[in-house]
Amino acid sequence: LFDVPQAWPDEVANLVKKVVNSSGGISDIRRALKAIVSLSKVQQGPKFKLGICRTFTLETQIDALRLGLSTIPCRPNIFVGELDNIEQILLNGNSQLLQAEPDAILVLWRLEELHPRLLFEYDGMSSEDRELSIISIIERIEKLCVEYEGISNAPLFLSTLPEIIDYKIMSDVSTSYSPRHAVLRINQALFDLARRFQNIRLFDLSGWVSYAGRKAFDIKMDLYARQPISNASLISFADYLSNTFRSLVCAPAKVLALDLDNVLWGGILGEDGYNGLRIGHDFPGNIYRRIQLQALALKNRGVLLVLLSKNNLTDVEEAFSVLPDMPLRLNNFSAIRVNWNEKGENIKNISHELNLGLDSFVFIDDQKFEREQMRFYAPDVHVLNASEDPLANLSALMNCHLFNSYRVSDEDRNRSADYIAQKQRKKLKSENGDPKEFLYSLQLQAKITPVTDVTIPRAVQMLAKTNQFNVTTRRHTEADLTRMLADKMNTLLLLSLSDRFSEQGIVGLVIALGDDLSKTVKVDSFLLSCRAIGRGAEYALWSSLLSCLSQKGFQTLHADYYRTNKNSLVEKLYEDFGLIKKVSSNDECYEFTLELPSYSDSPKWIEIEKSI
Amino acid sequence: MNNQIMLFQTLADILNVNVDSINDDSSSDTIPGWDSQAIISLVCELEKRFGVEFDILEIADIRKVKIIKDLLKDKGVIF
Repeated sequence: LFDVPQAWPDEVANLVKKVVNSSGGISDIRRALKAIVSLSKVQQGPKFKLGICRTFTLETQIDALRLGLSTIPCRPNIFVGELDNIEQILLNGNSQLLQAEPDAILVLWRLEELHPRLLFEYDGMSSEDRELSIISIIERIEKLCVEYEGISNAPLFLSTLPEIIDYKIMSDVSTSYSPRHAVLRINQALFDLARRFQNIRLFDLSGWVSYAGRKAFDIKMDLYARQPISNASLISFADYLSNTFRSLVCAPAKVLALDLDNVLWGGILGEDGYNGLRIGHDFPGNIYRRIQLQALALKNRGVLLVLLSKNNLTDVEEAFSVLPDMPLRLNNFSAIRVNWNEKGENIKNISHELNLGLDSFVFIDDQKFEREQMRFYAPDVHVLNASEDPLANLSALMNCHLFNSYRVSDEDRNRSADYIAQKQRKKLKSENGDPKEFLYSLQLQAKITPVTDVTIPRAVQMLAKTNQFNVTTRRHTEADLTRMLADKMNTLLLLSLSDRFSEQGIVGLVIALGDDLSKTVKVDSFLLSCRAIGRGAEYALWSSLLSCLSQKGFQTLHADYYRTNKNSLVEKLYEDFGLIKKVSSNDECYEFTLELPSYSDSPKWIEIEKSI
Repeated sequence: MNNQIMLFQTLADILNVNVDSINDDSSSDTIPGWDSQAIISLVCELEKRFGVEFDILEIADIRKVKIIKDLLKDKGVIF
């Protein structure tokens, strides 16, 4: 619980660990929070404002939630609405909570308050009455979702109703109705609503209760102060909560770097030979097989796998081709370093090859020496708490939240195929001398399309994840984009790329917000996924934007660059495009202008198909 | 730490006051921060630090140091 950021000093990390070990004493929690606040802003992470609407008391437990969120890391600010006021707060744009402009809102509710009769008096209700009651709750929630859409852009996390932990109810299988029916029906409806509405997401309170079990609730404090969540399980609750919001705060990790011997199979290839390795359906090979399946599942969600092993490559290749019952194959890895170099060196090398920062790497190795060396040479890499116990390694992977992301898109699923193609491209690059010759040989095709309802999620995903080739790093939500699309003066274009190796899908986005009166247009965002860097694709997107804007009759274009610690790559982008830089003493933000109509050359090695 | 000091320290931590300002006569009438929320926190922290459990009807009495002491004594804490 509470993965303390690696960059935090030991004394702060130890205070947080003490809270976990003491299962959340209030003064220990406060002491830890105080120590965290004394860290630098960078160590504390970005600000995160969370609004909570609820049907039960949480007030004395907020500090624990703040501590959980702090370890993401972020600087949390939690606003709690008045008890039982859900619609009153969420459907009133002037409510204090919405006025605070939260980054996300959480609704916590349960059957006890939503419909106490269904829980406590169901035996006396007619089946028709029960049915109508359940439907009324579902309709209430649906109405909330519909009306909330027009009011706030903050993603709304509705909690599923908690499982009813009541031995009598659970063991009573003879009745045709139990309150668990109501909970199941309403939770089913919640899952459907989250799929239907862009801005509605789930906080799986029911899932957490199943995980925390009987200890989740404290009936004494529930009856005394309507504070049901027990202090014994508060830390677990805070941990679950912080993992729900993690991907809103920080970009998910993108690469899993795996050691081989005693991680992906039992035994040491160089010593035991492949016949002596343990991998397969039976114990103990089944543990390693599960680890491989876990890694494969991550790969299928878009996480890149890389292999780091001190071995002879030919031995490894042989073992992978000969051993049966291996879910992983060598071609599942986007990069392979089987050699005798330090793993820190290898990972830096791969980071360069894949164009991904070290902070998006997660590393698992059974050897403490390797883990410590990685921490020392590449401190940005997340090193999992692995060990020589394979079950601990399986748990470390299963409980790793660093890869959490909300929506997995088709681009995610294809990503690893694409990185493998990128490797072939790089190989080609080193064979051919002239970089332009290389680009021509790729047979690049760019497709420029306007953003539509269907592609909004991918656009938002890129806005959220792209750090390097991103001039302003504005993280818009789906609702923001929907609003922008509604105004015909705005131009939102997507770039898809393909070449003779693979289809990369949507890899670029530009947002230009127009003003009809002044005939000016402002470039709000311009970004390229890091997989697409180095091909001149940005020129294709830019020239398409310019012709689009010129057609719409704009006379002046404004653009800006906001410095972050990751986007120095595009510092000079607008100058390269030929824009005029305004004189400014501000090093964090540059402004540019361009008179329209204007025209920009697109690289000759890219074939552009426009459907604007 | 003896139990008297531990009790006063717990009250000071939760009520955000100096430990010297707490004595046997302190109560929700003399300490402004000792409100209904503080009582919930006190129950949690006292139960944790002294390893005891209050009965539900006892919670409402957590408003005076003297009474808290009596409740703890009943549960075997020695002062």
